[in-house]
Amino acid sequence: MTPSAMTATQAGEFRAAGTDLSERRRSGVSTGPLIDISAAPDTIGMHWDADGSLRIGAFTTIAAIAADARLAAAYPGIAASAQGLATPQIRHLATLGGNLAQRSRCWYYRNPHIACLKKGGSDCPARSGNHLYHVAFDLGPCVAPHPSTMAAALLAYEAKVTTDRRGSLRIGDLLGDGSNGSADNALQPGEMIKSVTLASPLQGERALYKRAISRTHAEWPLVEVCARAVIKDGAFQFVRLAAGGIAPVPLRLAAAEAALQGKRAHAAAIAVAAERATSGAKPLPMTGYKLDLLKGVVQDLLERLAG
Amino acid sequence: MSTMTINGKLAPLPDDPDALLVDVVRDALDLTGTKLVCGAGVCGACTVLVNGEPAVSCLMPARSAANTNVTTVEGIGAARLHPVQKAFMAHDALQCGFCTPGFIVEAAAFHDSWRAAKGTAVPSREEIGAALSGHLCRCGAYDGIFRAVADACAGRFDGNDILPPRLEARDKVTGSAKYTVDIHHDGQLEGVILRSPFAHARISELDLTPARAMPGVNAAISLLGDDRIVRYVGEPIAAVAATDRKTALAAIAAIKLGSERLPSAIGLDEARRADAPVVFEKSARKKAGNVSEGGGAPASWKGNVRGPSAAFSKKPKKVRSWVDAARAANNPLLVEGIFRTGTQQHACLEPHAAVARFDGDRLTVHVSTQAVFHVMELIAKRYKLGRDKVRVIADHVGGGFGSKAALGVETTTAIELAREAKAPVRVAYDRHEELSVTGYRPATEMKIALLPSEQGELKALSLTAYADTGAATNSTIAALARLIYPAEGKELADFDVISNLPAGAPFRGPGGPPMAFALEQAIDEAALRMNVDPIALRKRWDPDPNRQRLYDWASGLEAWRNRKPIAAQSGRFRRGVGVATGYWLYLWQPGSKVEVAVKGGRIVASTATQDIGTGTRTVIANTVAREFGLEPHEIEVRIGDSKLPEGPGSGGSRVTASVIPPTLLAIEQLKTAIQQNAKRQPVPGSNAPWREMLAASPDLSASSVRPEDSRQMAPGIESPLRQVGFLGWIFGWMMRRFSNLAIGAGVPSSVQVLEVEVDTWLGHVRVVNVHTGIAVGKIAAPALAHSQAAGAVIQGIGYALYEAREVDSRTGDVLSGGMEDYRIPGIADMPLIDVHFDEGGFDHVLGGSVGIGEVATVPTSPAVANAILNATGVRLTELPIRPDRLVAALKGRAAA
Repeated sequence: MTPSAMTATQAGEFRAAGTDLSERRRSGVSTGPLIDISAAPDTIGMHWDADGSLRIGAFTTIAAIAADARLAAAYPGIAASAQGLATPQIRHLATLGGNLAQRSRCWYYRNPHIACLKKGGSDCPARSGNHLYHVAFDLGPCVAPHPSTMAAALLAYEAKVTTDRRGSLRIGDLLGDGSNGSADNALQPGEMIKSVTLASPLQGERALYKRAISRTHAEWPLVEVCARAVIKDGAFQFVRLAAGGIAPVPLRLAAAEAALQGKRAHAAAIAVAAERATSGAKPLPMTGYKLDLLKGVVQDLLERLAG
Repeated sequence: MSTMTINGKLAPLPDDPDALLVDVVRDALDLTGTKLVCGAGVCGACTVLVNGEPAVSCLMPARSAANTNVTTVEGIGAARLHPVQKAFMAHDALQCGFCTPGFIVEAAAFHDSWRAAKGTAVPSREEIGAALSGHLCRCGAYDGIFRAVADACAGRFDGNDILPPRLEARDKVTGSAKYTVDIHHDGQLEGVILRSPFAHARISELDLTPARAMPGVNAAISLLGDDRIVRYVGEPIAAVAATDRKTALAAIAAIKLGSERLPSAIGLDEARRADAPVVFEKSARKKAGNVSEGGGAPASWKGNVRGPSAAFSKKPKKVRSWVDAARAANNPLLVEGIFRTGTQQHACLEPHAAVARFDGDRLTVHVSTQAVFHVMELIAKRYKLGRDKVRVIADHVGGGFGSKAALGVETTTAIELAREAKAPVRVAYDRHEELSVTGYRPATEMKIALLPSEQGELKALSLTAYADTGAATNSTIAALARLIYPAEGKELADFDVISNLPAGAPFRGPGGPPMAFALEQAIDEAALRMNVDPIALRKRWDPDPNRQRLYDWASGLEAWRNRKPIAAQSGRFRRGVGVATGYWLYLWQPGSKVEVAVKGGRIVASTATQDIGTGTRTVIANTVAREFGLEPHEIEVRIGDSKLPEGPGSGGSRVTASVIPPTLLAIEQLKTAIQQNAKRQPVPGSNAPWREMLAASPDLSASSVRPEDSRQMAPGIESPLRQVGFLGWIFGWMMRRFSNLAIGAGVPSSVQVLEVEVDTWLGHVRVVNVHTGIAVGKIAAPALAHSQAAGAVIQGIGYALYEAREVDSRTGDVLSGGMEDYRIPGIADMPLIDVHFDEGGFDHVLGGSVGIGEVATVPTSPAVANAILNATGVRLTELPIRPDRLVAALKGRAAA
């Protein structure tokens, strides 16, 4: 189809590897000026601190994150998420910063002929239309789920983000709360992500990542969860669960985490936690199934962490 | 100006920030082995190596290739073929070949790093599947790809070059095969179509002058019909030809439109309402498309509903009363249900495309088509040109599956733009066009009732099918249930539901897969209720001799014999085994002609057919080679050009049965001529008598037209239309008269037994093993037939589990216009596959072979559903069986 004459609402879009932007340029969803950005030594690669924390430059490719053995040992949930997203050819190009700042995959947003909140429109056509792949936690005016797998993983790790304007921003603050339907994150206009910092891992922590999809590989998640836990003396000492694909922003599953805190790492507690994973859910008419999948993914991950 | 090194040579990069690497590679450097398909990084057809790492060139800004080392498929085997290329050739890991260069680039990189790290260890299917997860093949050549990559990594293709079983495989693995989208004439313009943003409107004003006035624009034409009404989002309104695509897009954006919106009806439910706006007024009905392979019989219209087409019924009133009585009596054997199937897009990887060029009064059109000869005839007729003035060429076609069988808008638009611009014009659809306006297998709603008699025979079958045909008609679903499982009575009714959506089109066994989805589940359910083995019940109810043999084979399979009782498992993961049957008609095209000639001591076989990935070149080469005691590679096969003797279209699985018999007759004549012209006879006892004679032969040629089949048939083999009596005879006569298709005796058949694993938590179904038994007579090209059979299964799995076009039911916009939202199966979704060919049943056909393409995909979706029932005790009645539907069904909920 043809690109629309839609005008860009901002001064320019940053382009790193362009794996998201190129598709929107081709379709005509993005027509404004481009600002090509490239890596500097401190914005690419792994920077380990003496205290065991890690700063990952925003220009580091997803493939580099997926392949880093030291990172995988310290932050297995980050490595598994990087290994599980997109395709090998995209992972070789796409950057961490781009993954966090990418735009929605909503099929209304991606269609240049259809107006929507993210393109300056006045309402969300998916809400009253076909929202099969949209949110089950209806937390804002736009019902598209947040597309970033890395954002969900970083939420589980309570990562900090440094931008060219702000230091030590909590990942949750970077992403926002989903109440701004026109944006996919809470970056200010022209603000650029520089790096992401992960605190040193906890003693004995383990982590897993899983996405529910219809095929085997290479599909945007219906539901995805990154789970971290420290299980000591047979009990959950520490749990972090962050889910993507279900809400306008990745969500911490706080009720499920609370249900496990201090509990024996057995089937009964896990079952209760899986039920509570959907606490606060507000599914749309077509997305109730995502709650079943969310429970299933949480139960799968917790059983494997406990096993 | 920045540069990159590509395949060892320095090349400049453009300054345009929006230029993508794929455009530079294909358009500026003419390295057309790299293909542009999805434009979204999903399918991997554009994959190149950047500094040794695979990257999607469709998403990579050309700028970021500055100072890198880029390798395209042309650079992979430039000096000598890479082991992966030889392995792909040897294992026939390709069909249409359009995805092949991308797979080769990625697989070569995987192979090289694997070998460096692990020597000749063999990677697992899981490792190969993950490594190639960024590639999609619509033909479904995955079975061969697994074997090729594993064997290449194991070092089995380090050695000498090989002769592939597929004649043109070398061109496809090296990227040198030219498809329509790769054609580039000097001065060629790019054509783009302005499409309707409205589901239903009258275009009151169309002003092309702003477009024509733009620099770089050479032609602008209206594509509106005489009533100026557009009936779906995406209907063509106008077209522009310009020096490049960007200019053409800007020009169509400048066209001024005035429109009067009309009320619209989108989809099955809305269009059937009594007060629904009518899509086609009576005078406009002939504008509707056709979703079947042949022409249809007339039917009545009521609003947007056309039908019933019920000619294949038998005692329908009795059936109704028997079913009503059985229901009233709570007869436990009465199986009733409503089944729904989704809209399946062909999703050809090569888009619909045409390149038209006028040289004086002669017109040459490269078309991505399934019918070079027929399209030439249609062009000549439409533009009142002599047939000798029109030439249609399709050397290689990147998939068709039924959607490229007619004269399409891409072709007429290219011709009309080229005529006005007085320059060659290419029109190639983008992915959204390909996944919205090029046709599809219509969604259906089917109501079925199946009633066994007290004696355990099939007494009555009732099937009513409503097909979501969009701006098209002539769906044949229920009628197909007449030609299998004879019964005392059958009530069969087909309805088209026309709405403001793009027109459906024929798709691989049109009507067959949805019919089987309903019927084969009803049969399965009847077996369950009668406490009879489902294969045994089919054997009892289905007397067709070809399928009788397949049932014997299927019931002996270990997978079948060892299956667990229904719903015997309770864990998260449950396995189940299911069976289903499919058939298709044996069709051939009268008038198909093949010329076999000796030219310079070589044999050349020619016919104006085409190879859309089905293996037609090889079928002909193998046939000729066998008769002359030569190797297939010694035969030159000329196809893909309408100047050659009239050949069949690639639809209805007709090509093999249309070309082998005349090839054999022509060979007979040619042999006689060679002998008559021979100056000396071969040495007595020579083991290559024909080779010697051919070398010494003057140039000679012989040609033959497809003969009628023998009337001497094996017991039980007859035309399936016999069951329908006089009406069947009329139907057959009409098909031949109006669609140039003969329906032969004997029924191509398939029985599939497959095993699934159901993840009851995540609603995920994995097809683990498939046994596909196929009876299509003698196999003319075994490796290629295996590829077709395996590819048909994986396409059937896509239909069963993943694929559905999604629309906005208010506006009629197609939402699944990209390949991340229209989900076709990937390599890791490919089950282990066992292909069984039963080679009997077609001895009355000269050569003994009929086509395989369609029948092989018919039974897959019901077999999957029956296997899920075996695993879980839950019957899935709606396709695709996505996670949302499966988790809902397992919990006894209705899915949204």
